[in-house]
Amino acid sequence: MTTPAPALVLRASELIGRPVVTLGGELIAEIKDVVFERAGGRIAGFTLRNPGLFSRSRKDALPWTGVHGLGRDAVMVADETVFIPAKELAPRKQARKADVLHDRVLTDNGRDLGRVVDVVLYGGTGLEVVGYEVEASETLGTAAQRVLIPLPDTMAVSGEHLIVPAAATEFVSEDLAGFGAAVDAFRSRLREEAS
Amino acid sequence: MLFSQARKRTVVSTATATRVARVDGFVVLPGPARVALLRLGKVSGHGTLLAWEDVQGFGPDAVTVATDAVIRPPRDDLEQRAEDNDLDILGKRLLSEQGTELGTVTDVDFDPETGAVTSLITKTDTVAGQRLIGLGSYAAVVSA
Repeated sequence: MTTPAPALVLRASELIGRPVVTLGGELIAEIKDVVFERAGGRIAGFTLRNPGLFSRSRKDALPWTGVHGLGRDAVMVADETVFIPAKELAPRKQARKADVLHDRVLTDNGRDLGRVVDVVLYGGTGLEVVGYEVEASETLGTAAQRVLIPLPDTMAVSGEHLIVPAAATEFVSEDLAGFGAAVDAFRSRLREEAS
Repeated sequence: MLFSQARKRTVVSTATATRVARVDGFVVLPGPARVALLRLGKVSGHGTLLAWEDVQGFGPDAVTVATDAVIRPPRDDLEQRAEDNDLDILGKRLLSEQGTELGTVTDVDFDPETGAVTSLITKTDTVAGQRLIGLGSYAAVVSA
């Protein structure tokens, strides 16, 4: 299973404030915040606010599955019917605590790579969480304060720790340029090892 | 024919052989992309819309209609928004369905025989008209 790397690699935090536009060309909301799933650091969806300067937050939300396209300039949806009540996205109390941000990334051989500060996605229409940006621990031995760690396409998850294969440390990037290639290289290595 | 060339063209009634209006704008609808209505100025009645079906000929010198009675006010919400110029494709931001901005629509090429939109033109690009999937007040959206 080889998929060509989509051109667009984004940080989840970049999406905040981005317009939500229907395929019919109407601006219907703005991204207020990113909501992460309790386990595994995947994205559950986005809370919304009304577009404009003095915007109010809204009681509806955009689930991850309702996103049609995620680009540099807009988040595209089919129409407003993909929205769900915000409390269905994640129970409020849980949503605050469940944030993958601040979780620590551990390798499967027990090295602590650092604390998650952002999540990296493939944009376009082939949406996928492909990495974490971490505040690097000394273990990584990089000069950079923040590095990007690629994720395998399937991952075992627990509530508390984010476990990645040890080989991930060989494919760490310091910036988004080139990270897509690092993700692909890391994943094909994992496939080679598995076969 | 480009919108920029077709604008300001005179609308002539063939019944009376008189000038009845002037083309001020174009209302494009997607799926398939076509000119659905013309927005007119210098009209004598209170309507300003002319449905493409009521256009007899879109010629190099004039647009002909059978009678000025076909020039009418908006019939529904969509047409009202068209008359209010909310849906004018010219000047609209062009977005891909992946959420990437491709520029601003500066001109449109259409077939004066059928009204079909053949391409959307930006400063740097020409996008096939058949890729237009949506047109709203915020953007014109095109497929990948």
